[in-house]
Amino acid sequence: MKHKALIVGRIAALLGILQMLCGCWDRTEINDMALVTAAAIDKDERDGIELSLQVFMPRALGSNSGGSQGGGGQKLTLVRSSRGQNIADAVSKIQTKLPRKVFWGHCKVFVLGEEFARKGVREEMDFLARHPQPRERAYMFVSKGKAIETLNLLPPLERYSADMMRKLSELKIGLKVTMKDFIIMLGGDSKAAALPMLDILPPEEGEQPSQGVPYIAGTAVFKEDKLIGDITLQTTRGVLWLTKKMEKATITVRPKDAKSGFITINPNHHVIHQTPRIVNGKWQVLLSIQTSGDLVQNGTNWDPMNLDLLHAMEAAVQDSIKDKIELALDEVQKTMKADILGFAEDFHRSYPRQWGRVKNRWDEVYPTIQVKTDIHVNIRRPGLSTVPVAIPEDEVKKK
Amino acid sequence: MRNLHRLLGQSKKPYFRSVQQPSRAATTSPLSNDQQTNVETLRKIYSNSVDVVFRSFLIGGKTQATLIYIEGLSDTEEINTNLLRPLMEEFEEGLSLRQLFEKKVNISKIDALSTYEDCVEALSVGKPVLFHEGDSSGYALGLNRWDKRAIEEPEAEAGIRGPREGFTETISVSTAQLRRIIKSPALKIEPVKIGSYTQTQVLISYVEGIVDKNILEEVRTRLSRIEIDGVLESSYVEEMIEDNPFSPFPQVKTTERPDTACNAILEGRVAILTEGTPFVLIVPTTLFSLLQSQEDYYQRFLISTLIRWLRYTFVTLSMLLPSLYVAILTFHLEMVPTSLLITMSASRESVPFPALVEALLMEVTFEVLREAGVRLPKQVGAAVSIVGALVIGQAAVQAGIVSAPMVIVVAITGIASFMVPRYNIGIAFRILRFPVMFLAGALGLLGIMLGLIAILIHLCNLRSFGIPYLSPIAPFRSADLKDVAMRAPWWMMNTRPHQTEEEFNQYRQAPAQKPGPDRNK
Amino acid sequence: MLEKGKISSAQMAFMLFAAVVGTVILSIPAISGTYAKNDVWISPIWASFAGLIAIMTAYKLQSFYPKLTIIQYAARILGPFPGKLLGLAYLLFYIVMNGHGVRIYADFIVGTTLPRTPLIILVATMILLCTLAVRGGIEGIGRAAQIIVPGYMIAFIALILLILPNCNAEHLFPILEHGLTPSLQGSIPPQGWFAEFFLISFLLPFLSDKKKAKKWSWVALITTTLTLVVTNLVILCLFGRNISSYTYPLLTATRYISLADFFENVESVITAIWVIGNFVKFSVVHYALVLGTAQWLNLSDYRPVAWPIGILTIIISFWSMPSQMALSHYTTFVFPFYSLLFQTLIPALLLLIAYIRMRDSKGDHSS
Repeated sequence: MKHKALIVGRIAALLGILQMLCGCWDRTEINDMALVTAAAIDKDERDGIELSLQVFMPRALGSNSGGSQGGGGQKLTLVRSSRGQNIADAVSKIQTKLPRKVFWGHCKVFVLGEEFARKGVREEMDFLARHPQPRERAYMFVSKGKAIETLNLLPPLERYSADMMRKLSELKIGLKVTMKDFIIMLGGDSKAAALPMLDILPPEEGEQPSQGVPYIAGTAVFKEDKLIGDITLQTTRGVLWLTKKMEKATITVRPKDAKSGFITINPNHHVIHQTPRIVNGKWQVLLSIQTSGDLVQNGTNWDPMNLDLLHAMEAAVQDSIKDKIELALDEVQKTMKADILGFAEDFHRSYPRQWGRVKNRWDEVYPTIQVKTDIHVNIRRPGLSTVPVAIPEDEVKKK
Repeated sequence: MRNLHRLLGQSKKPYFRSVQQPSRAATTSPLSNDQQTNVETLRKIYSNSVDVVFRSFLIGGKTQATLIYIEGLSDTEEINTNLLRPLMEEFEEGLSLRQLFEKKVNISKIDALSTYEDCVEALSVGKPVLFHEGDSSGYALGLNRWDKRAIEEPEAEAGIRGPREGFTETISVSTAQLRRIIKSPALKIEPVKIGSYTQTQVLISYVEGIVDKNILEEVRTRLSRIEIDGVLESSYVEEMIEDNPFSPFPQVKTTERPDTACNAILEGRVAILTEGTPFVLIVPTTLFSLLQSQEDYYQRFLISTLIRWLRYTFVTLSMLLPSLYVAILTFHLEMVPTSLLITMSASRESVPFPALVEALLMEVTFEVLREAGVRLPKQVGAAVSIVGALVIGQAAVQAGIVSAPMVIVVAITGIASFMVPRYNIGIAFRILRFPVMFLAGALGLLGIMLGLIAILIHLCNLRSFGIPYLSPIAPFRSADLKDVAMRAPWWMMNTRPHQTEEEFNQYRQAPAQKPGPDRNK
Repeated sequence: MLEKGKISSAQMAFMLFAAVVGTVILSIPAISGTYAKNDVWISPIWASFAGLIAIMTAYKLQSFYPKLTIIQYAARILGPFPGKLLGLAYLLFYIVMNGHGVRIYADFIVGTTLPRTPLIILVATMILLCTLAVRGGIEGIGRAAQIIVPGYMIAFIALILLILPNCNAEHLFPILEHGLTPSLQGSIPPQGWFAEFFLISFLLPFLSDKKKAKKWSWVALITTTLTLVVTNLVILCLFGRNISSYTYPLLTATRYISLADFFENVESVITAIWVIGNFVKFSVVHYALVLGTAQWLNLSDYRPVAWPIGILTIIISFWSMPSQMALSHYTTFVFPFYSLLFQTLIPALLLLIAYIRMRDSKGDHSS
């Protein structure tokens, strides 16, 4: 019994000591934190970088609490930037201008400036991977022009521009690349990486200059860790098909035999197989795509209930997908010669020995790889109308 | 001998002698043949006591007799009509008192007493004692009656379905309530007297054949070890028989419901009834039995199972929620979803206190309000709760002293702690909340974990009458899980719960009693 | 006998599981991955043979000397002086092992969640709790393990399920690109941990149901192996073959969990659960150490040595290692060989000697 009293006493004493000491450890009140919502990295005039942080201002939200939160155009964040040799250096300098401690845990967006990306990003990625606060799930972007400009924007629909960029990325219209993905790509066999490219839609007339909207304009292509160029959103679609990342697509085509008008389908279920093969010493990639979706709009006079015409529509969509893929291959594989399609990994997995031999001259092998496509489109449902709408019945082509 | 020592408020133990009673008479001796001597001795024992009445009269107008009783404990009307009147009437000669009792006195229970000690005992429970010239024994008459509370519904343990009666302060009523439920003669009720002055009757109640003999023996020895002035409530007994007096966790279950007590007795536990209090102690007790309500057995089993899970969850929450709030808000900001954090940081912007202080402030305020609510008279209680709700809710938030999320946390914690059907275990968790909160303020989630580990170590080593406190989870007894992890329907509860490794009366009912339409085919 | 408590075989299995998986689970993919790359998930299977040997020898020795621990039967087998010397070596081995274990734990916490908290606080609170547990006796530790380890496993399974959507099975290929060698090389560090199954020799004497002991120790071994295989598989599928670039791959993986944009960044929760698993590990080793010391010194009670040995463990955790890198180097290159020497090789030799002695003495009786 006696020793139990002692133990209770000991624990109480320990608790007391803990409490006395805890002030100087890791306890940080939320009021002393500067929540970074986005960070932008640019090249400065000399060798270093310029880091900009978008920091959330709680007071701005607190002032009109109870009402609508923030609302369009109201400034919830402030942007602070500083120059430095690297991120760590720049952060320490920004910290001198911020009364609150920089907290990276909620930074979901990192924007790399175009010029900075051309110089090489590896050095700064190390900070993001090593520091325990920045999240591996944060989204990475490259911006056309200076990255800081994307942070200064006040998009009307979202609370702050970082939120906007994150949501755009999650829509998966372009690429969606997290920090982890980017780091894996940079360190992978392909030695190439791709990031979504941001551009700024200029504000409408009469709006504040800061009311521009960032949007995903294409894909930035990295070789080694340097930006070598970018491709358009159209080409990006081809890349998405090639890298099996296609999720939502809206394909609009004019069937060859149709007199006028376009049809649009919304494929939403894809089965994509990418099979690397070495046939007679020739390196090939067989891409088989099976996709299915609903008819969304039919501007032609074709009746989709007719199976022949339906097949013709499907063929047209297939051609469209094939065109996109070829466009992507042309730009990425033939022109840029950057393996953002991950062919190196594929061959490494399937043909480890052969890959081992070409490993060091992959740059030469990569552009010579043939890509064979095998695309099947299946239009599953016509939607709520059968025949084309609003044209006289006798003009509808039923056969 | 032992009882005699107690009677005079003294002990065999030497250090107890300094508090001996002055009126120490030769009570050990048997009653004398002379009724005058007997009466004088008793007068000496009960000196300076106005409430003890000595009534001398002549039986049949001849024989000297004295009736002694304590006012308020005996039924004076009965004494007048059924004892004094028939005895004081004239009647034929030669009848001994014994014959008189047989012929004249219509009282159901009359015991012969042979020592002073017996007399005192009989008097103290309200039985009038009759002395009679030329007889060396006194007679205790079963005319004890005193005012008692009616049987009422226990307020602290109310339920929606189930018997509405509760124990009362009168122990004979309580035993009757037990006996009314368990009619088998296997229900045993053993007496023990505790308290050298109060002479409180404590009863050990169990069902023979189900109870574990070792536990019963342990209960007997622990009760007999108690040397104390008085027992005013069963908690006196509880504190004297606990395994670990320093633990915040109660190792004895208390109830004021006869059905709860009988359920425990039928599970092989021992109920300890104490005179003067409706609260019955049940031993041995495990953590999980404390978290169960008797009503769990009265509602449909699916519902009871869900409610038990809910209760387990919220008991844990009542201990951890404020700590989690503190830990997450001061150490692990990244865990809060961004949009929620933005709102929370805005609402905490004007709060001047650190999160830990804020939480402590609110939790202490809540405890104060709760305690005040219990103590205050009913009419004032309502006012206090209104003021409390306004003060710790609306006003504090609007004044910017605490943040709105904190108020929500405190409210949930408060409500959660009342999910527990038993006050004493609920308060144990509530108290542990504070050290865990300090740990959370020092080390974040890690601190909470360390606190939990410490509590777990304590619980793992805690026993109630030799039974591991966490059984049947640790040590694991899969057969007993049916009444802990869930509330199995009665047709599945074929085996009795049991905590020791001893052989026991395993089956409580016939197997395969699952009801259904085609059972009889 | 010093210990009067009894534990069940299931409790023993839980204790062993925690003792082996405890610290290793966070860093094993990285440690094995340095060599094994794509075949990292095969390594624990090879390593489990070390555990098999440890358990088998402990059993055989136990059958010769029931109710004794290695500290006691070492003296019986080798004679009083060499036996005591070996016993001392064992105690030193275990105290160093526990010291380093606690240091790994504290370094992890400081490195990931509480950068400014002094190491001594983390080490001391953990040892304080372990000592409290040890003073409660083996029954208390057994029960704590019985409650903690199932929770630990449920959390582990939930974690794996949450990571799974982010996984890409293609990272597994090519399997056995460079033959068996990489996976065998990668299995050496985990062998050091699997050898810790020899701790069973401190638990076997106190079982209440010896008949089930064998079954449950296999269960412990298989579950441990499975846990590590699954961990490595999932981590490999998430990060590809360069997992050795992460200090704590499992932690980084949990940081990647996201459920409906709400349940995110839960690594602190995982850390907390990992801590509670570690507590069981350190308690078991601490108990073995305290009991062993008491037996070595022929004390009548082991509780009085619990505090001093706890304090020694704290000191040792600070002594040897200047940095986490050095500690990592030690656990990869030095500890496995120590561990295998003490927990498989020496027991096997003891068994051999015991066997020969037994045979000789039997021979004497028959002649």
